[in-house]
Amino acid sequence: MLSKLEKRAERTHWGLFLRKDWSRNKLLYAMMLPALAYYLVFQYGPMYGAVIAFKDYSPAEGILGSPWAGLSHFKDFFEGFYFERVFTNTVLISVYTLLFEFPAPIVLALLINEVRSRAFRGFVQSVTYMPYFVSLIVICGIVKDFTNSGGIIQQIVASLGGADTALLQNPDYFRPVYVASEIWQRIGWESIIYIAALSSIDTEQYEAARIDGAGRWRQMRSVTLPGLLPTIMIMFILRMGNLLNVGFEKIILLYNSSIYETADVISSYVYRKGLIEFDWSFSAAVGLFNSVINLALLVLANYLSRRVNQNSLW
Amino acid sequence: MRRTIGDRLGDAVIAAILLALVIVSAYPFLYVLLASFSDGNQLLAHSGLLLRSYGFHLDAYETVFRNSAIWKGYLNTITVVAGSLLLNMLVTSMTAYVLSRRRVYWNKAFIFLIVFTMFFNGGLVPFYLVVKGIGLIDSLAALIVPFAVNTFNLIIMRTAFASVPESLEESATIDGANHFTVFWRIILPLSLPVLAVITLYYAVEKWNAWFYASLFLRDRELFPLQLILREILISNSTDSMLGGASVDQAVLVSESLKYATIIVATVPILCLYPFVQKYFVKGVMVGALKG
Amino acid sequence: MQASTRKASSAILLSLMLTSTALTACSSSNNETGSPSPSASPSSSASAPASESASPSDSPNAGGSVYPIKTDVMLTRWLDSGAFSQQLAVTPKLEDFPFNKELEARTGIKVKYELPAVNQAKEQLNIMFASGEYTDIIEWNFVTGYPGGPEKAMQDGNILKLNDLIDKYAPNLKAYLAKHPEVDKQIKTDSGAYYGFPFIRGDDYLMTYGGPIIRKDWLDDLGLEVPTTMDEWYTMLKAFKEKKGATAPLTFISTPRLFDDLQQGLFYGAFGIKRDFYMDDGKVKFGPAEPGFKDFLTTMRKWYAEGLIDKDIATVDGKIRDANMTSGKSGATYALAGGGIGKWLTAMKDVDPKYDLVGAPYPVLNEGEVPKFGQKDFAAPQGGNFAISPKSKNPELAVQLLDYGYSEEGSFFFNFGKEGEAHTLVNGYPTYTDPVKENLPLNLGLYTRATGGPFVQDKRYYEQFAALPQQQEAVKTWGQTDVDKHQLPPISPTAEESTEFAKIMNEVNTLVDETTIKIILGTDSMDAYDKFLTKLESLNIDRAIEIYQAALDRYNAR
Repeated sequence: MLSKLEKRAERTHWGLFLRKDWSRNKLLYAMMLPALAYYLVFQYGPMYGAVIAFKDYSPAEGILGSPWAGLSHFKDFFEGFYFERVFTNTVLISVYTLLFEFPAPIVLALLINEVRSRAFRGFVQSVTYMPYFVSLIVICGIVKDFTNSGGIIQQIVASLGGADTALLQNPDYFRPVYVASEIWQRIGWESIIYIAALSSIDTEQYEAARIDGAGRWRQMRSVTLPGLLPTIMIMFILRMGNLLNVGFEKIILLYNSSIYETADVISSYVYRKGLIEFDWSFSAAVGLFNSVINLALLVLANYLSRRVNQNSLW
Repeated sequence: MRRTIGDRLGDAVIAAILLALVIVSAYPFLYVLLASFSDGNQLLAHSGLLLRSYGFHLDAYETVFRNSAIWKGYLNTITVVAGSLLLNMLVTSMTAYVLSRRRVYWNKAFIFLIVFTMFFNGGLVPFYLVVKGIGLIDSLAALIVPFAVNTFNLIIMRTAFASVPESLEESATIDGANHFTVFWRIILPLSLPVLAVITLYYAVEKWNAWFYASLFLRDRELFPLQLILREILISNSTDSMLGGASVDQAVLVSESLKYATIIVATVPILCLYPFVQKYFVKGVMVGALKG
Repeated sequence: MQASTRKASSAILLSLMLTSTALTACSSSNNETGSPSPSASPSSSASAPASESASPSDSPNAGGSVYPIKTDVMLTRWLDSGAFSQQLAVTPKLEDFPFNKELEARTGIKVKYELPAVNQAKEQLNIMFASGEYTDIIEWNFVTGYPGGPEKAMQDGNILKLNDLIDKYAPNLKAYLAKHPEVDKQIKTDSGAYYGFPFIRGDDYLMTYGGPIIRKDWLDDLGLEVPTTMDEWYTMLKAFKEKKGATAPLTFISTPRLFDDLQQGLFYGAFGIKRDFYMDDGKVKFGPAEPGFKDFLTTMRKWYAEGLIDKDIATVDGKIRDANMTSGKSGATYALAGGGIGKWLTAMKDVDPKYDLVGAPYPVLNEGEVPKFGQKDFAAPQGGNFAISPKSKNPELAVQLLDYGYSEEGSFFFNFGKEGEAHTLVNGYPTYTDPVKENLPLNLGLYTRATGGPFVQDKRYYEQFAALPQQQEAVKTWGQTDVDKHQLPPISPTAEESTEFAKIMNEVNTLVDETTIKIILGTDSMDAYDKFLTKLESLNIDRAIEIYQAALDRYNAR
């Protein structure tokens, strides 16, 4: 529709814009260089390897030389007898974790923030983040100690009319045990970022609120939470981008055949397959599937967040 | 400022909850500590709560420290952590600064390219080939350079930088500051808490790293601490998933060795947090700069 | 200086090789006409003490290469450090192990070792292949650890086909294989190719090391005999529960793989089946598809309902099993002679002097029957796991190095180390020295290579490793089964079959394990069994059996 002249004007206008942007932000682009170099070389350099999911990889022929398999690995994955189950389990575990484990560190940070004694605050912070550093094998061993017959937690549950054998032999208890142990392990460590964010909130705002007569909870609602919101949103978006990544290590240490129906997730299922025979291509295909869904979730979360409160990744 | 009865009650409840959490959180570490001092044989028969050690034995620690590789491991890990922190923090913060600026045309593209790499990568072998191509294999640099930026950390930092009020940036620019000055003298000092956290994240990440070390390093003299300790842990577990012909030749060593190993591996990094903590004091920096 | 030395040494090397080839050609025929092949019968090596303990001299071994070989070449050798992690903690360089130093002196060949980090071997090996790096010798289980198996590994150009080289430069191995055709089959591919030198267990005694273990002191207290039938086990477990207060009379590892420890045929075997594939008269069968599986489930279900099996059986791992067996919660389990009997007896020695263990026979259904299955390793448990890279510039030398372990002197050295240092001869029986015995697991790896290597393992090593009378008795008891007739030999499906097989079996295994435990725990009723059979069919188990049958037929034709 535009005449040649107008088109030319547009292009020059655009070119002018770019030149202006360059002259204003030259230094910035220079500061970007190291990171750009890093990503190009170490992330995009190897990126061609992603095609392995569409090939029948053979080590001898290498990635580029191996024959094409198209979508056959994906087909195998989707047509698997247990696909629906492991997919559902993965999603459910992730969602429960999101619902219960995601807010826990936030709550902890808020509580710690209310403590006035610096010593006690420091003490609580230092101790609560210790479980994160204890190796997973030990943590799961302790979880089993508590949830097997005779263990504290099992006895409590039994007295409330629940299972009378190990909790981890009952499919209904797996997710609660898993999520609870996630909270236990991570609450301290993950609260650190929120505590840091809280310390950046302008003290003057608190002063103003107090002058207005706001009590502790009012202050929390009107100053603390809004101040924390950007951090919470960004952590939420990043978490959504990891939703399908339920790591197999912890699942394998806690699960067993009697609770496959709630405990078997994508990663543990693929791991077992790999024990029979490791198939690079199949693993890669599953990983790619996970990634696509995760990316979609991230984009969605980002969009919603931007709409609702202008906090977003881009 | 008066504290009401309600406030005091709230304080008490909060303190009680936190105390309960502290007890529950301390337990795993306590367990490991007590087990590491215990007599291995009695430990074997134990199941359930562990509230006191079985005697006080130092032989597990003796075994761990007698391994000369441990000391080299410590050295290597500290080198990698120090080197990494320098590179990581410098590059990440500069990049986060750039990405947090408005009216930079290419930022959207950069962010997209960067976030894309969080989801898609080429896999282990191509990555190895790139690192090999650059000539980093079998050097500690292989654990530093190919991991110059952690995208997750980058995003967090960027968000923090973006929330520094524009007015501060503008007034500095008016005074003749260029972008680098704004970065160095305004943004960074105002973001100390986030910088402290990200430093901690990177430090812990590098401290715990062993997987890529196992792939990129051939010379055992360069092995980082976690790798050496992992070897000890695995070699002493009869229920490891290794299997193979020498299944029954698995080593029959004290149970407490496993735990001593964990203590040796984690205590140093646990000590880092108190240093980082002091940057989390409320409002200390913002106020100071305003004035 | 370098060039001429190298020329000189290669000249010497060349002439040596020619000489040894000639010698081999002459004397190999001698071997095959029946003079006792040195490494064939380990027990006979004791009768020739002179040559074993001889300092590295130029005495040719039966058949052939003159050791030490005069060469300056340094071979590179890649191996999984998992087997040596304890030793590496004490002596960080493999080259410095006393055994390796002596080996170098004896063979004349210097070796540089490349070790991946423990438990990362698979990744490192793949990367090594993918990036074109190589070492002269590669130690790896290509049967189970390389997708597509050894045939594919050779096709891919990652390991060398060794038939010619073995023929010319490995007289010792050749002789041994001629005397032991079953071993020969185990290390060839279906097409008759040799791809690696094997670790050989030279005696049946070495191949069994795991089985049922029971608290002997409890049996004595209760006046019970060691049980042999399922009914006797039932009585015993009941007595353990009622009279000894055992809360988990029978326990065994069930995670991460369900009933992991029963895989060798414990309890399943009484009903004529095994948890997975086995053979009856040359026909491949899959245990859970057979009627015996229903009987197995019924019995186990009954035992569980009556509290004879650990209530938390599905969660039992190694740590829990160890704790149960040493704390009195359990009285019976499955474990290994070293990692079970040895470990627990040592641990309880001071704590409870009455504590005693006995290795029981695998139970059968009816009195007097011979157990159909039991744990038994193959003579060459990892196939030909010492392979050579096609890129190696010194394959002949590598072959000669590897062949040393199958000579009489070499084999003896691998098993018992240097005389005086690692062992002394007591009435002709090579006994490990006291300093070595102080920490046998550690020192065996430093002064000998008894636990695994390119040689023929001697049973006298194991007699001393598992030296407690309970252990030795147990191994003998556990060996009395018919497993030889029913265990599948190390067959190899083709590469495509392998992928198909893995796909089918992952689903089948999930189904079988889940059904098994739910029926036994009582969560599902026995009706679930019929539904299970239908599902099993629909998962294509017949195709998997077909694949294995084809592989078995090819194996038999080797």
